[in-house]
Amino acid sequence: MQLAERAAVIRSKNAGPFVLTIDVFFDDDEGYARAKASPVLTREGVAEVYGVAEHSVTGVHWNDMVRGIKISMLRWKSASDPYCSDIFGAHLHTPLAVCEIG
Amino acid sequence: MSSSTGPRVRILSFVNHAAPGNGHEEAIERAFEWGVDVIVAQGTGSDWGPYWLGSGTQVAANQAANVRAYVRAAVEHDVPFIFSFGIAGADPHLDECLTQFDGLCKAEGWQLEVAVIRSELSKEYLREAVAAGARVTPVIDGVGLVAELGQAEIDATSHVVALIGPEPIMAALGKARNGVITGRALDIGLFMALPMMRGIPTAVAAHAGKLLECGGFALSPNDSSQPIWAEVTMDGFEVRGPNPNYQPTVRSMVGHTFYERSNPFIEENPGGVLDLTEATYTQTEQGVYCAGAKWIETPYQVMLEGARRVGFRAISVLGVRDSFLLGQVRAWSDNIENMIRTSDRFRDAVEGGTLTVQTRIYGLDGVLGELEPNKDVTGHEAAVILDVVAQDRRLAEEAAYFGFMRLFTSPYPGRKTTAGNAAAPFMPVVIPVSDVYEFSVQHLLPLADPITPFPMTVQAFPGWQSVQEEKPRCS
Repeated sequence: MQLAERAAVIRSKNAGPFVLTIDVFFDDDEGYARAKASPVLTREGVAEVYGVAEHSVTGVHWNDMVRGIKISMLRWKSASDPYCSDIFGAHLHTPLAVCEIG
Repeated sequence: MSSSTGPRVRILSFVNHAAPGNGHEEAIERAFEWGVDVIVAQGTGSDWGPYWLGSGTQVAANQAANVRAYVRAAVEHDVPFIFSFGIAGADPHLDECLTQFDGLCKAEGWQLEVAVIRSELSKEYLREAVAAGARVTPVIDGVGLVAELGQAEIDATSHVVALIGPEPIMAALGKARNGVITGRALDIGLFMALPMMRGIPTAVAAHAGKLLECGGFALSPNDSSQPIWAEVTMDGFEVRGPNPNYQPTVRSMVGHTFYERSNPFIEENPGGVLDLTEATYTQTEQGVYCAGAKWIETPYQVMLEGARRVGFRAISVLGVRDSFLLGQVRAWSDNIENMIRTSDRFRDAVEGGTLTVQTRIYGLDGVLGELEPNKDVTGHEAAVILDVVAQDRRLAEEAAYFGFMRLFTSPYPGRKTTAGNAAAPFMPVVIPVSDVYEFSVQHLLPLADPITPFPMTVQAFPGWQSVQEEKPRCS
């Protein structure tokens, strides 16, 4: 099953002009557990999915209380770049959203 | 849940650059039934990119109309308000908003006394700070920001603002009868000011600021056009939704601590780090009670933002519906980009860095660009946007016109549509967009004194006039 099908919320946004942050929230424990076990939701996995260098993925954070995941990465084109395609960074979640997490 | 004795501050919050949503007037009344000590609304941010800061122009938000119902309530109930105005929040943006606000006060028949705090630092101040040895370093490495702010960047940047902390606001509260208006400010600082003045710990005040800063966005459903309310006490705070259709849940509260942050638990602020690793959120009868934040003191620094002009953008748009061309649309567009770059006419400008070109193809790679895994158009149509940024408008438009003509008329392999290659929807075919800016300053300025660089003046509304007060020098 794709991440976007299983998650209740999946969203991307700027955290400042140079960093993209992606939040994922699950409504069910099983979906969250599968996400936690998935190799995609690691710094290495995210880098591969987006096609960026691993060091530009600055963190993958977990919050069990709300079944939430936060992935942060340097923007490949920042909001400061004249050729940025998404000033707010609000629509850059799709490479992760279509990943299979079992 | 909350302490029954001790200081208590009840805050009604909304976002002032968004038009208030349905039911906000009833919601304001409801909040005042619970009790309100201060109305706080932020309206600045870097989210809208460097354009506003660089150009000095203001987004077309009617901030006066947005605050009307809230200021009316504040005046009727004799409680202060604290607003940050102007998105980019430098002097011209603040002035524009204050002009509108002045008009609002006149139309409503109010006589207000407000402390105005400007966030823009003068170039003299920055030059002196740097010359005196202040090390002003980027907030983030590896993104092309200069390693240490120097005279060159200060000179090239049009406006530099600081995200002022709660301290200048605390110094201003109580000095003017109706409240405080600032330019660019740290969002949570606006909310921290009154609780801290009443003796509530910084950790609690900052945690409350974080949950309240985007108004109803922290409620369920998320909607920043709705208000939010909290009662802040020594140990924590209870959040409620004044509009019954927008209510806090544990998930909406914690979800908001994620919003626009790179780390969900740790956040650096002027003078300290807010640590929410052990924060607790408990559903109560009327809302959610939040506690458990920690504040770890660090040397005081404010974040600075500044933008500089990089050129002028002109675009041209073409629609492609023919499947044969769609099958080679990226190669076709890349070829035209190369024609522009290698032409006699533009080669020198390209090599000199005063002209850049890109084609964005919606229907193929407009959103993800080079990261798009799909290399072929899978639909039946695409839009090709030729995007030119050059040092001045004349050059940008000339290159865009040249590119349009090449896109529209040049032969490509196997072409059958020899009367014109694509659909041109607009005349003029070249659309001048705007000056283009980049963030030249996103740096941290150490401050021994968080108040003096940001003086307040008490102003009467209506009757306000923009007077350029002399800006503080760096002592």
